[in-house]
Amino acid sequence: MRISHEIANAVFVKLYKHLPWLASGWARRRRFVESQDIPWAPLAKPLSESVVALVTTAGVHLKSQEPFDMDDPDGDPSFRAIPSDARRGDLAITHKYYDHSAADRDINVVLPLDRLRELWAEKRIGGIGPFVYGFMGHIDGPHLRTLMEKTAPEVARLLKRDGANATVLTPA
Amino acid sequence: MGLIQRAIEAEGIPTVGISILKEVTQKVRPSRALFLRYPFGHPLGEAFHVAQQRTILSDALAALETVTQPGTILEPGYRWRRHRFD
Repeated sequence: MRISHEIANAVFVKLYKHLPWLASGWARRRRFVESQDIPWAPLAKPLSESVVALVTTAGVHLKSQEPFDMDDPDGDPSFRAIPSDARRGDLAITHKYYDHSAADRDINVVLPLDRLRELWAEKRIGGIGPFVYGFMGHIDGPHLRTLMEKTAPEVARLLKRDGANATVLTPA
Repeated sequence: MGLIQRAIEAEGIPTVGISILKEVTQKVRPSRALFLRYPFGHPLGEAFHVAQQRTILSDALAALETVTQPGTILEPGYRWRRHRFD
């Protein structure tokens, strides 16, 4: 039973990757936390002087950190603080709901740390946030509340502490 | 991801998110988004394609300076594995 479930999941991951209309239909049918108001913070200074932080929901974490929970069908609303100078070989991806074979070969496909470092070296940005915050997407059920009331605001406060002037978010 | 983005923006930090599912972004309504019609698992494009990754990241960063309307979804229209990035 467990194995057939895993196989079905793997088949869906492939289908959703290659048939975008399938994902669009899923997104239209599924209920999301919808909003009318939109929080807004303008950029306070030019990008060339701004510290830019990265946040990803692609399931990235340090190999030394506890992986995200893949057994809970509602996902895992926790996050991992990853030093942004972590070596490529120290990073891992735990996320079974998308095909991360490309990101396993080149993490920049989901977490563009090398590209951000290049832009910093060229003085296009003023700095890089000391930590990347890694979440796993695919959060549902009771964990949505944990995410919205606890872990997402916590990361927002940590980014503030880190001195981030802007944040780029990347999905799976 | 949009919910996390909204929480960060609410803390006073400007944000931009890359989106590969426009329907979700339109519902969750983050402040700024860059939408790409790319497959899941490839928000920055293809592995080791530096010019492509760099262009997409630069586009996202530029949105922080250019977007003035909350909820804007930018669509550069790059075609998966067809667009030439230089």
